[in-house]
Amino acid sequence: MSLLLQLVANGLLLGGAFAIISIGLTLIFGVVRVVNFAHGEFLMVGMYVAWLCASRLGLHPYAAVPIVVVFLFVMGAAMQRYVIQSLLSADAHIQVFATVGISTALLNLALLMFGADIRKVEFAFGNQNLSIGSLTFVSGQVITFVVAIVVAFAMHFYLTRTYTGRAFRALAQNRTAAALMGVDVNKTYVFAFGIGAALVGIASCLLTLQYPVFPTVGTYFVLTAFVIVVLGGMGSLPGAVIGSMFIGLIDSLAGFYVGPDLKEVVYFVIFLVILIVRPTGLFGLGRGSE
Amino acid sequence: MIPNPLQPRAYVAYLALAALLLLPIATQSPFVIHLAIQVCVFAALASAWNIVGGFAGQLSLGHAVYYGIGSYAAGLLVLHFGISPWVGMFAGVGVSALVALVIAYPTLRLRGPFFSLASIAFLEVARLLVNHEEAWTHGAGGLNVPLQIGLKWMIFREKWAYLLVAFGFLMVVLWICRAIRHSRFGYYLIAVREREDAARAIGINPVRVKIAAAVISACLTSLIGSFHGMYLTFIEPSSAFSLELSIQIAMFALIGGLGTVAGPVLGTVVVLPIAELARGWLSAFGNGTHGFVYGVVLVAVVLFFPRGLVGQLGGRVTQWIDKLPDFARARRVTVASLPTAVRATASAGEPILKVDKIEKRFGGLKATDKVSLTLHEGEILGVIGPNGAGKTTVFNQLSGFLRPDGGTVTIRDAAGHWSAPRSPEGFARAGVGRTFQIVQPFAGLTVLENLLLGAFMRTKGRDEAEALARSVAELTELTPLLDTEARSLTVGGMKRLEIARALATSPRVLLLDEVLAGLNPADVARAIVMIRRIRDSGVSVLMIEHLMQATMALSDRIVVIHLGKVLKEGLPAEVANDVEVIQAYLGKGYTHAQGS
Amino acid sequence: MLKALRRVAASLGIAFTLVGAPAHAQELKLGALYPFSGGLALLGDESFRGVQLAVDERNAAGGINGRQITLVKADAVDASQAVGEARRLTSVEKVAAVFGSYASGISQAATQVTELAGVPYFELGATADTITGRGFKYLFRVNPTAKNIGDRTLEGLVKVVAPMLKVDPKTLKLAIIHEDGPYGSLVAAAQKEGAAKLGIPVVEVQAYSAKTVDLSSVILRLKGAGADVVLHTAYQNDAVLFFRQAAAAGYKPKAVIGGGGGYSLADTAQAVGAPIEGVYDVDFPQITMNAAGAPGLGDFVAAYQKKFSSAPRSGHSLANYVGAKAMLEVLARAKSTDKDKIRDAALAYRAAVGSTAAGWGIQFNETGQNTAATLNLMQWQQGKLVTVFPEAVANAKPIASN
Repeated sequence: MSLLLQLVANGLLLGGAFAIISIGLTLIFGVVRVVNFAHGEFLMVGMYVAWLCASRLGLHPYAAVPIVVVFLFVMGAAMQRYVIQSLLSADAHIQVFATVGISTALLNLALLMFGADIRKVEFAFGNQNLSIGSLTFVSGQVITFVVAIVVAFAMHFYLTRTYTGRAFRALAQNRTAAALMGVDVNKTYVFAFGIGAALVGIASCLLTLQYPVFPTVGTYFVLTAFVIVVLGGMGSLPGAVIGSMFIGLIDSLAGFYVGPDLKEVVYFVIFLVILIVRPTGLFGLGRGSE
Repeated sequence: MIPNPLQPRAYVAYLALAALLLLPIATQSPFVIHLAIQVCVFAALASAWNIVGGFAGQLSLGHAVYYGIGSYAAGLLVLHFGISPWVGMFAGVGVSALVALVIAYPTLRLRGPFFSLASIAFLEVARLLVNHEEAWTHGAGGLNVPLQIGLKWMIFREKWAYLLVAFGFLMVVLWICRAIRHSRFGYYLIAVREREDAARAIGINPVRVKIAAAVISACLTSLIGSFHGMYLTFIEPSSAFSLELSIQIAMFALIGGLGTVAGPVLGTVVVLPIAELARGWLSAFGNGTHGFVYGVVLVAVVLFFPRGLVGQLGGRVTQWIDKLPDFARARRVTVASLPTAVRATASAGEPILKVDKIEKRFGGLKATDKVSLTLHEGEILGVIGPNGAGKTTVFNQLSGFLRPDGGTVTIRDAAGHWSAPRSPEGFARAGVGRTFQIVQPFAGLTVLENLLLGAFMRTKGRDEAEALARSVAELTELTPLLDTEARSLTVGGMKRLEIARALATSPRVLLLDEVLAGLNPADVARAIVMIRRIRDSGVSVLMIEHLMQATMALSDRIVVIHLGKVLKEGLPAEVANDVEVIQAYLGKGYTHAQGS
Repeated sequence: MLKALRRVAASLGIAFTLVGAPAHAQELKLGALYPFSGGLALLGDESFRGVQLAVDERNAAGGINGRQITLVKADAVDASQAVGEARRLTSVEKVAAVFGSYASGISQAATQVTELAGVPYFELGATADTITGRGFKYLFRVNPTAKNIGDRTLEGLVKVVAPMLKVDPKTLKLAIIHEDGPYGSLVAAAQKEGAAKLGIPVVEVQAYSAKTVDLSSVILRLKGAGADVVLHTAYQNDAVLFFRQAAAAGYKPKAVIGGGGGYSLADTAQAVGAPIEGVYDVDFPQITMNAAGAPGLGDFVAAYQKKFSSAPRSGHSLANYVGAKAMLEVLARAKSTDKDKIRDAALAYRAAVGSTAAGWGIQFNETGQNTAATLNLMQWQQGKLVTVFPEAVANAKPIASN
């Protein structure tokens, strides 16, 4: 029984890590309607910045959040403004490949600048091994989980109560109508992309404490993040969070009962079954179209 | 079937392809020949992908699953059973076709990123399973194809032999793609991709069409995978079932131009050599330089050619090519006359469409409440009623887009048999043509191609269909616009196209949904004349309209629908002066004002 | 777009001229095919550094029969690229031989090309046994294979680890966990076979994706099975993850024996921190060996430090250095770039065990495999990877891992 509890705890905590990555992705998906293949590289860049803050300035990653968030906001906004914006009227597929190009460029730029070595930060805070009864976990994991929930609520509040948030939702539903209602489409998209990237910045700082950073680290998380976002329903915040927990639990349980090299098979199969039954994902709206 | 080499577009294409084969051989450099082989392989993969991604419009990012199946099938059969890869590759084709069916059917309803991610999921599952099942796939260590030289084993010492084979595969794939593009199947794919509802309304079955595309694409991809496996002589799960490969082939097709035959080849020819040469050239600089340059170049290409190379440059290039001498005789196209008028026969005036007490509920709302009406052959029946009365809902039930919760809709065919179709395609085949309130032209196709799509339903050959299309165009005054892209038409033109496309299916009943809305008075006048011409040619018309004068002028009879029920039925004059009808449209106040 | 086209034209132009250009009489071109980018970039680059040092040393001593050696770098991340780059090296650059490649998949694919092209391939780091199992005539591998790793691991377990734990090896419960790529799978298979032969029980065999971000379930299984000794073949990220999550889960096996890869990297040790103390590792010889059994080791380290301003990051540079040095000597003795003369020279070349900087001997058998290559058992002690077995190269005594 305690084994099962531990597995569930591990799964939920892992879900927390994925949630914080997926929230930004689902926002960009949902509002700008772009499949951002460079999302994993945003995470990687954020992690490098956090590591740089730690190794050059001695800042704890949690303290580096403002810096990383601003850096990534600018990066995301710039990407939207200078690359995606010109492609908004083109085929959706073409936009995807612009992001693929950026992903490749960023990954190799990191390799050029920092080499392939892995970098790790060493801080005690957030890295303590804790236990409640027979349940063991790391403090950083709990903090990540809590932050994920808080951020999700904050974003939800933002989307429903503020003008910009409502503009996001309007754009998500009908770009032309929103424009007619006075929403500056381009500016809002830039802002949305920036916010989505900034959210990844928070994830970067939290994860740098637990995972080492190297040029290809983004690719370790990005596919799962996509699965979560699609599973939860594009643009749906609750979907991203619940999808993350779901995937985290499967990862942990399947990893134990089926086998770690087949656990992905399990969650891909479940993912497919859910999509077949509900083509728009668990919390998606609409008829399964973009 | 094979493009006439005497025509400029054809011979330019042949020359370009021949250059792809002969120039590398002329250089005698194994590296250049290797590049050419890679170009042929990837161009073939991209073209095969294009059948699903371009023609059918489904961005599959997991296509490598078929490539992997092909590689492993051929490789395993050679290694364990000594079976020639020329035979083994068909085993791969068989498995791929099955897998494509398994994948395509459940994912049909998925669109956009959902479909893409589902395809990735299938790919990853395949990779992980092949990796895991070491016993018969050799697992992660990979399998080495024994180096037996000879045509039988698809392994050659001379590199140009490989190029010949690769080129051959490319030709096969291109020929199939071209055949699809110019066949009705190709048009069906495009129609389903652009406007699935409109496609169903002209009798196309989207499920069958999409699955066929998926299977064909899978089989071709598998063949290439078998060849490439023999070329690399080393097959391992992560390279064979590679997400990067899937993304690459989609990218080549996109950069070249989706949905065209030349696009994928062009995209591959432009991008692949750059990538390979960059790697060789830039390796000397820091690690990662070539990857960085590649990424940047990719973004640049996408930014400058957002519609793909063919989309962006195709127009100018084809214009230039068309100026070259044409050695073929011009094809003469006949304009057939429409099927003979039914009006003259004895059945004129007989009921042709019977609607018997149909009902439709949406949750608690009763949108259609026991509506009955009869359309007689050769008549124009006007359907009017205030907004929200449920007119379009009735139309949707008369054309198969909604299934009534109660009651029946039956239609009589030319032989006199009554049938009750159930799906939009079924209704279309039974002889019901319809237009949509919000026009749904196939934007990327020309007017002629839009009409062809309608005409395909009842004709056999392309020429027959084209003749029918042209005569319908005459009827609807679209002849001068036949070669214009549908997206460039005016509102009036699009509405006429809507009607014409429905007419091209040779319907017995035509449902017109507010075709006069948004037209200026001159266009309205022309439309009225056109609708009369349509009726005179033997088609019975049921039209929803709001323009009272036009409706009164055109209709033989009028049905008024209010709050989902039939309020009144009768001759135009009767209905126009009916108190209840006036109340329904204008409110009680008006009648009181009238009365007082 | 135009710029790219111009570059393409330029490259094509270069390619064509190179095709026609005769090789410069004074220089000898040798290829170096490694994964310089992608997931294996770090160790690919580290391996290449060894080759660079061997070439520098040889050039300083006059080159090969008076000809200075030029290395042509080729980057390949997968089989397809390996084939392409092998073709480029053999037909455009027209190298006399190719050094490579750290990764088994790349080696397998590239050697198929070079064998058919008749260009000798000197494998200095890839471990898949099948590389030399294909009957090739112009392929020579200096380093040991996955099977050797498996054998040495079990030998180390029986002769060092078990005595340190003061138990009979047959009472130990082994768990074998590995990344699911070619490297991990092949080593794990060899370890499993070796354990079976010795009658040592294996309670868990788990493969996981190298790109995993979570090993907690694997660790729970090991914990549940009561595994005493964990044999772990991993890259860096998963090695670090394992220790971190094992600590979090409160799982401390009696001993951990790594199978090279991430376990041999200074980076990894730093990232893992305290738990790495006492962890064993079976891998190619590392720089911390007893120089008596590995003459020239000190000079190598000094040369590396001078050229790259840091200590070697793993043992791969040493292995590649020794291998390249030996093959350069073979090339010199062949007195020709003719492939058959090179083969004869290679088969005839002998070096005694303990005569090279890695402690290896050189003796190629008919399949091209060096039968005198050995692996060592190392242990992390105070942040340094010291060699504890075999005696000839050991520079420290094993310590008990608490």
